[in-house]
Amino acid sequence: MLWTEKYRPRSFDQVLGNAKQIKEIKEWVDQWIKGEKQPCLFLVGPPGTGKTTLAHIIGREFSDYVELNASDKRSYDIIKNTVGEASATRSLFNQGLKLIILDEVDGIHGTDDRGGSRAINKMIKEGHHPLLLTANDPYSKRIKSFKSKCKVISIKKVHTNSINAHLKRICSQEGVTFDDQVLKELAKRSNGDMRSAINDLEVLARGKDSIDKSNLKDVGVKDSRSNIFDSVRRVLKSKNLPKIRQAMYLDEDPTLVMEVMAENIPREYEKPQEIQRAYEMISLADLNFGRARSSRNYSYWRYASDFMGIGVALSKKETYRKFARYTGSTSFALLGKTRSKRDLRDRVADKMAEKMHISRQVAISQFPYLSLIFDNDVMAYEIASYLGLEDDEVKLFRTKKIKKPPEKKTTSPKKIDTDNLKSDGINSSIYAKKVDKNSKTSSSQDKKVTPKDKPLKRKKISKNSAEEDNKPSPDTKEKEKEKQTSLFQFN
Amino acid sequence: MSGPWVEKYRPATLEDVVGQDHIIERLKAYVKDESMPNLMFTGPAGVGKTTTSLALSKSILGEYWRQNFLELNASDARGIDTVRTNIKNFCRLKPVGAPFRIIFLDEVDNMTKDAQHALRREMEMYTKTSSFILSCNYSSKIIDPIQSRCAIFRFTPVKGHQIIKRLEYIAKEEGLDYDPAAIETMVYFAEGDLRKAINILQSSASVGEKITEDSIYQVISKARPKDVKKMIIKALKGDFMGARDVLREIMVLQGTSGEDMVNQIYQDVSRMATEEELDGSSYLEIIEAIAETDFRIREGANPRIQLEALLTRFLYKARNE
Repeated sequence: MLWTEKYRPRSFDQVLGNAKQIKEIKEWVDQWIKGEKQPCLFLVGPPGTGKTTLAHIIGREFSDYVELNASDKRSYDIIKNTVGEASATRSLFNQGLKLIILDEVDGIHGTDDRGGSRAINKMIKEGHHPLLLTANDPYSKRIKSFKSKCKVISIKKVHTNSINAHLKRICSQEGVTFDDQVLKELAKRSNGDMRSAINDLEVLARGKDSIDKSNLKDVGVKDSRSNIFDSVRRVLKSKNLPKIRQAMYLDEDPTLVMEVMAENIPREYEKPQEIQRAYEMISLADLNFGRARSSRNYSYWRYASDFMGIGVALSKKETYRKFARYTGSTSFALLGKTRSKRDLRDRVADKMAEKMHISRQVAISQFPYLSLIFDNDVMAYEIASYLGLEDDEVKLFRTKKIKKPPEKKTTSPKKIDTDNLKSDGINSSIYAKKVDKNSKTSSSQDKKVTPKDKPLKRKKISKNSAEEDNKPSPDTKEKEKEKQTSLFQFN
Repeated sequence: MSGPWVEKYRPATLEDVVGQDHIIERLKAYVKDESMPNLMFTGPAGVGKTTTSLALSKSILGEYWRQNFLELNASDARGIDTVRTNIKNFCRLKPVGAPFRIIFLDEVDNMTKDAQHALRREMEMYTKTSSFILSCNYSSKIIDPIQSRCAIFRFTPVKGHQIIKRLEYIAKEEGLDYDPAAIETMVYFAEGDLRKAINILQSSASVGEKITEDSIYQVISKARPKDVKKMIIKALKGDFMGARDVLREIMVLQGTSGEDMVNQIYQDVSRMATEEELDGSSYLEIIEAIAETDFRIREGANPRIQLEALLTRFLYKARNE
């Protein structure tokens, strides 16, 4: 029997680490057994942290359980049949609750397991049976459709000390004398993966009475899927091709790796020509990701991977002997920080898009003009009410303290309109017609305020129009002044 | 309320559309026949693709155009789902009070390939009840099967004298006072984009004084994406991280598109060369890099990453030291 099986925890108490998570899981189990239906439980975490172990322990709490793991084909029909069978053969104990475990659901294959996620979704929705899913990658696209409907519990890596302690226990049970340093090293290398630590120990110690440091070299360093930062550091710090290749074997979204790589190039490399060369490689990688995306031909990814791995690594003359602090992409941080501002921007752009037959992007490209146009109170008022902008949205174009927009003066809105006519020196008959319409439809309030004034003023303007055509400048300027003074009054 | 002038002065009929005379002539024939094939309008921004589509639809569909007209632009969700449900449902219904129904899809080049493929089926399934008008900037980004199902009309930048005429008309309608030279300047900066020209005109008019060449220059400089020059100077000084931060802020926060960024960088750099802030050979090196960046962005690369890479090319001074 493999040690990983032999020493697999059999109850919640024996599981190392993740105390808080286990408490949550216990509550979930208790509720089910009490007869209260619970949402699907979803354990997410890196390999070797105890997800499958926990799943089996949970299974034992129920009267029975079925499991489908990655080695089974998990198409729609198969899942449905297995589960269907499970639900048909209700056991007589524990209210007939049978736990259904789907292990490693992020490994559900797109074509081979056709409809797999559909079946899972259906089961979650029906919710007759306690359902438990596990997965490694919390961001996998394959689990996206049902992740939000589940109670997600993220299982953390096991602490090195806990692993170390566990290895010691195994050694004493197996009667192996050990060198403290060796177990420590094994625990460290495992990087929080209990299973791989036990496997390594077994390789070293099985059939032996004692282990010491000299045995360590027998165990290959785990071909672990390192995290993004380890890979990025490896690329930026090394010029060794196989090592770099290895570092690029990552179970992460490659465009995300590219972002983190690009972010940290200038943090590691100091010479401008190195930064330039490395960034050219990033640019080429990005280009190939773009090609893959638009052509749906993902073989371009391998070029991208070489450009951003080997290409970036070889852009430096020599490896820097320094410790550079790496960070995630600040543009993502910026996205988070500026969410409310961007929301405001997009909201305004969408209002423009709807009224002006343009896309959001085109609308945004017109913002600079609107900022200028909004300096003019009348135009600002007109456009803001045309687009239906709220006060806070107007602020996008008017950094100055917003004077109470004319629409607030419910007592005399018409007067603004006439002002507007004057200042713009409206001459055309078309526009005059429109104004007529406006005044007809405008509320009776207006009439109360300036009932006699209005038509007179308008007539004046249309009379002027003929003359104004020839010598518009002094007139309009005067009117501009007039308008401004009147607006001041409003303020 | 009449909205911004670009909307207020959007021509409502085919006759009033500015420029594109040969296209308009052919479209009028469709109106006369009360039938039309699927159409594709391609061409740069601000040359009248949307305006023509709207005007054409209104004249063919007549009084009940609203009921028989569906407009979806790039801001609307247009994934496969939309194509398969909304568009399909619209196409399926019989036209009411009009010869057929019209679906206007703006900026089709921003639709995914998958959605385009879904669209292809709809375009031939409902030919009896519906016609499509598609508009795009680059017809190369439209899958061939769709192109082959459309009569393609290539819109060209609006000619200078036509823009002048339109701007003068608006200026008269609005009672503006202007120098004729100012209009010429606007036309120069508009580069055949009438929407841009009108936006410049209204921005200049908003000051409320006589529009002169100077006031146009002021508007142009104020309407630029902000901080681009600042970014370039930082990069030229060798502060790559600083320049990159500015770039990200412009693109993320202001939402400036990659295309606009490239244009602005190009303009700033070429001005710096004219003012001898850049020597000839480094100018050429940078232009080469800008051209390549422009191309890669259009090829579908991520604009921000590409522009970050472009910024490293400005480090040449620091590099040579």
